[in-house]
Amino acid sequence: MMEYVWLVPIFPVACFVLAGLFGNKTPQGGGYIAIAGALIAFVLSALVSYDYYSSDLYAAGEAFEMSMEWLVVGGYTLNFGVYIDSLSCIMMLFASFISTLIFVYSIGYMDDQGEKKRRYYGEVSLFLTGMLGLVISSNYLEMFVFWEIMGLCSYLLIGFWSYTHPNGDEASINASSAAKKAFLVTRLGDVCLMTGLFVLLYAFGSLDYSVIFTDAPAVFAANETLVTIGILLLFAGVIGKSAQFPLHDWLPDAMAGPTTVSALIHAATMVKAGVYLVARSYPIFTQSADAMLVVAIIGGVTAIYTASMALNNMNIKRVLAYSTLSQLGYMILALGAGGYLIATGMDTGNQELIVLGTAGYAAGIFHMINHAFFKALLFLCSGSVIHAVGTEDMRHMGGLRKQMPITAYTMLIGSLSIAGIPVFSGFWSKDLVLEAAFAPFHHGLGAGSVFCLLFILGMITAFMTAFYMFRMWFMTFTGEPRGHCHGESPKPMTVPLIILSIFAIGSGLLILVGLGDFMAQSLAVGMNGILAALGLEVEIHSAMHIAEEIFTNVWTYVAIVLAVVGIGIAYLMYVKKPFVAENFDETKKGAIYNLVAKRYYFPQLYNQISWKLGYGISRIVDVFDRKVIDGTVNGLSNAVVGSGDGLSSAQTGYVRDYASYIVIGVVVIMAVFVLMVYYGGGF
Amino acid sequence: MDVPILSLLILIPLVGALVTLFMGGERAGKAKFVAAVFSAITLVLAVYVMTVDDLSTLTENYTWIQVGALTMNIIFAIDGLSILMVFLTALLVLLAVVFSWGEEDRPNYYHALLLAMEVGLMGVYMAQDYFLFYIMWEVTLIPMYFMISWYGGPRRHYSAIKFFIYTHVASVIMLIGIFALVFSTTYGDFSFAAVSAAAAGAPLSEAMQTFIFGLLFFGFAVKMPVPPFHTWLPDAHVEAPTAGSVLLAGVMLKMGSYGIIRVCLDDNIFNLAMANWQMVIVVLGVIAMVYGAYACIAQNDLKKMVAYSSISHMGLVLVGIGCMSVIGTEFAIFQMFAHGIISGVLFMVCGFAGHSFGTRDMRLLGGLAGKFPMFALFMMFSFMASLGLPGLMGFVAEFGLLYGFWEFLSANGLEVLIVFGPLYMMLTAGYYLWAMQKTLFGKLTDKIDLEHSHDLAKYEVVAIAVLCVFMAVFGIMPSIATDFIMPYAGIIGGLF
Amino acid sequence: MIDIAFFLVFAAVLFVIGMYGLLTSKKGLVTLMCIELMLNAANINFITFASFSGGTAGQVFVIMTIAVAAAEVAVGIALMLNAYKTKGTTEVDKLTSMRW
Repeated sequence: MMEYVWLVPIFPVACFVLAGLFGNKTPQGGGYIAIAGALIAFVLSALVSYDYYSSDLYAAGEAFEMSMEWLVVGGYTLNFGVYIDSLSCIMMLFASFISTLIFVYSIGYMDDQGEKKRRYYGEVSLFLTGMLGLVISSNYLEMFVFWEIMGLCSYLLIGFWSYTHPNGDEASINASSAAKKAFLVTRLGDVCLMTGLFVLLYAFGSLDYSVIFTDAPAVFAANETLVTIGILLLFAGVIGKSAQFPLHDWLPDAMAGPTTVSALIHAATMVKAGVYLVARSYPIFTQSADAMLVVAIIGGVTAIYTASMALNNMNIKRVLAYSTLSQLGYMILALGAGGYLIATGMDTGNQELIVLGTAGYAAGIFHMINHAFFKALLFLCSGSVIHAVGTEDMRHMGGLRKQMPITAYTMLIGSLSIAGIPVFSGFWSKDLVLEAAFAPFHHGLGAGSVFCLLFILGMITAFMTAFYMFRMWFMTFTGEPRGHCHGESPKPMTVPLIILSIFAIGSGLLILVGLGDFMAQSLAVGMNGILAALGLEVEIHSAMHIAEEIFTNVWTYVAIVLAVVGIGIAYLMYVKKPFVAENFDETKKGAIYNLVAKRYYFPQLYNQISWKLGYGISRIVDVFDRKVIDGTVNGLSNAVVGSGDGLSSAQTGYVRDYASYIVIGVVVIMAVFVLMVYYGGGF
Repeated sequence: MDVPILSLLILIPLVGALVTLFMGGERAGKAKFVAAVFSAITLVLAVYVMTVDDLSTLTENYTWIQVGALTMNIIFAIDGLSILMVFLTALLVLLAVVFSWGEEDRPNYYHALLLAMEVGLMGVYMAQDYFLFYIMWEVTLIPMYFMISWYGGPRRHYSAIKFFIYTHVASVIMLIGIFALVFSTTYGDFSFAAVSAAAAGAPLSEAMQTFIFGLLFFGFAVKMPVPPFHTWLPDAHVEAPTAGSVLLAGVMLKMGSYGIIRVCLDDNIFNLAMANWQMVIVVLGVIAMVYGAYACIAQNDLKKMVAYSSISHMGLVLVGIGCMSVIGTEFAIFQMFAHGIISGVLFMVCGFAGHSFGTRDMRLLGGLAGKFPMFALFMMFSFMASLGLPGLMGFVAEFGLLYGFWEFLSANGLEVLIVFGPLYMMLTAGYYLWAMQKTLFGKLTDKIDLEHSHDLAKYEVVAIAVLCVFMAVFGIMPSIATDFIMPYAGIIGGLF
Repeated sequence: MIDIAFFLVFAAVLFVIGMYGLLTSKKGLVTLMCIELMLNAANINFITFASFSGGTAGQVFVIMTIAVAAAEVAVGIALMLNAYKTKGTTEVDKLTSMRW
């Protein structure tokens, strides 16, 4: 079965073609085609995963690899192939599963879009191809190809309403501008990533995972600076795609797209591609402890920085977008901390650090999966609310719990989960993330103080998360109704919500019990070769041990208390106090409020940079081009024409003038001759 | 092989041009059928050539002029460098004819000019004799001049004359270079092989090599065009009719880079000069890349923007050539091919915009995606291909060329300068996306009257769609093209 | 024997007089006469050198020149007459209808 894994992305792309060409001839504009494609992809993924899990390769800690020659570049051969290990399996499974649910949901949500549905279902199918292709790629170049295809789909779908927007022209302009911003900002990361690929190709002579993972220590030792720069360039791509600080600002704007797109692309799958890349590149990233420290810092800073912007936002989707950013920061933080532990462990030959690092790695992936479920759920719930009330502004919602109970309670589950209340899935993974961030400090490693700070930031973020999520839930679902509502959403929308909420409750525990080893295995696939040379190996504690550690750690309880306090404050501020419109008048707020509401002036910063570096220089170039270069060209031609005009005035047409010229000429020539004879002594 | 295929590649369009030329009066409307048939036969022959196993068996050699020591032969040959260009020429001429199906202004002359251009272009890419090469080089100039000055926009006379004089001055300088080269090596035999062999036997002095290289390079650089010798191009494009722009950007610009690879990278002749010029070529290429991209951002005219983007993309080709390595040469040729196909669509789309909406000024356009979906689809497709979206052929070329650039920089300890690569890619994405936003998205424009505007006609869709399919096919399976290029690039690259 | 210088100076003076007239006069007939003067100055030079060097080639050229000059005067005067008939003047500066 594994050798047919390439069929997984083929089915969605076939659906893209089918829906694109014939979508409007089928019911729901090709919606059912897209669902079928995603479902087949999911079933195939499940079969492949099972096949891999039961194969000898899994037991031996090896990846299934199959590739063919794609292109010969000078002296290098670039391949195209598949690379299956447990990480790919996990990614394939949840990406196709969540996509299936979201496509089903779209049947209800996009029902009124008419002819445009064809475009929607075609593009989301293409997107799914990109995501599935990315996770089964066998080398960095192939991964980059799918990486960019997802970027294109993200651009197209954010800009889904970039013309003829149902809310009018202003909204169209916003959407097109947001799409452009998303593409360009992620593109900035992508070009760095591509440069990183040049560095890797130059250093390793290949971009295949298997080659790079095997050769990593030797090549790194030979060329430390270059490879470190390469790693950081790859990470720049992650910063763009996973919207980390300072390239985070495109994601809030990307909410201009349909809510299903936000759920699918900007919460559950595409933004995880960056996290996936870091996890996938662990064997090479962990060569450099410094690089991993940078990764962890970026993650930690992003987590708290973006969480702060969710605190006072009035737009339900924006709150979720900031929360996504913040949770992505957690994942990167966990991976950075885990990588730092492994890197230090390899330097010092300390097996204990490797075990802790593996836990950090597992925590990052674990949180990624849990987040995919609960954030997709939250976005779909917000979509359901928006569908019912026709606005995204929470000031015009309120009291919706009675009108749309399914949405309200599924969203409550999602909020509890993300807030880190025990038993819900978010609790487990968030706790592991924070534990990983704390470990370097706990073990007194070189950059321990930095990690201590990151840990504290993570704790504050956890508190903020609980607060803003419940602020959102209370403003939307409790109190007095402040707008009209169409009532509960149709079945295609509520059924996915219920399914997702089951996962949002259970996935944490399930994965902890069943899939911990599965995640550690993917690290072993990449790293056991490297570690074995140092007398180490990838190892993860048993599930019971991890659970025991969670519940014997005092910080766990601190985090729970912080979350509960956050919920409590939200309750006091938004339920106990009656809603007063004045409290939400942004013009009367203080400087800090405005700083946060204006997103720390980052949009202006982007604008200024692109305006100065892009348009400003281009104006200069344009003027230079027209005045100086073209001016010289035209000046030359004018000079030729002008001198011709000047000389032609000597042609008077009078015989006597010509005769005079002849005479003058003869006289001059004679004079020259005479002088030559006289002074030169002959010719 | 008894049938002289390569001669037919030139003779068929020539006959076609003459036939269409004399189809005046009532028969003028039929000219397009004749032109389509003749260009289709040429394309079939070009495709047939690609299936031949050993391209050297196709070589043809006829004596032409022999006066004393002067020997000018008609030698046609095809190799890995020219085969894609020949195919591209045949393809683009046919599609230009198809795209111009609705042309009603003196269609017989219009199609005769297109076919006449094909004669010259085929000649340039197949000639193996300096004199023939020069003649064919000039033959391409004349139909393009008339194309612009008869069928062009409001400033067509200015642009046509500027185009003609500018490129003619450059080719005369190139001719001086050719004479200097021939009369200092073979003393009269103009064939490529003879000159190369003579120079290998008795190498020129370094100063002489550098000088002749400079003359030839200038001639080619103006055609490419390389800033600061580029200003004829935007003017010519803005005024030229769509089919003219397609051929101008698609194949004529490639004559410049083709000439550099063919003539200037001959190690037998310029073994010493190449090292002297290498840095100049790379620097000029980088300048063209970045300068062209910046100039694009400032443009309001869609077609002028695309014209500057050609300068930028051809700058990348020049960088690849300047790397003087296998990879640089391989992808320079691939980029020539890729840019030919992509810019064909770009100019078709932009030309259509001017035709249908009456203006190409982006300040007047806006929100067109809703009303003109086919136009929007193809515009996005071609813009995305041009900005190097993976999966389409522009990306393959860009990846290879920038990697070659990186290798070159690493070898010279200048790694930091790779920053120009990402900068170029960012700027390219920037101006294309901005142009799409201004043209296709947002509020439907009320500044122009769209009542008589129409979406792409069927024949226009066919022409564009064929090229889009090629973009995707060569983007997914670039080895189809690189298999042709690699033997040649391997030979070239082995020299350095 | 008269010195050769006398002949040459005489011819030069005659030539310069003709040239002066040609350059200053606007009248067509005067121009023609001045050209005749210059031709004859040249003739004198021919004959002088022929006589002093002893050949006959000089005389042959002079006879040739006289014949051509006669034809030239005939054509020239006919032109002037026609010009006077159609334009009413023989001033060369006024005969500008074929000027660019």
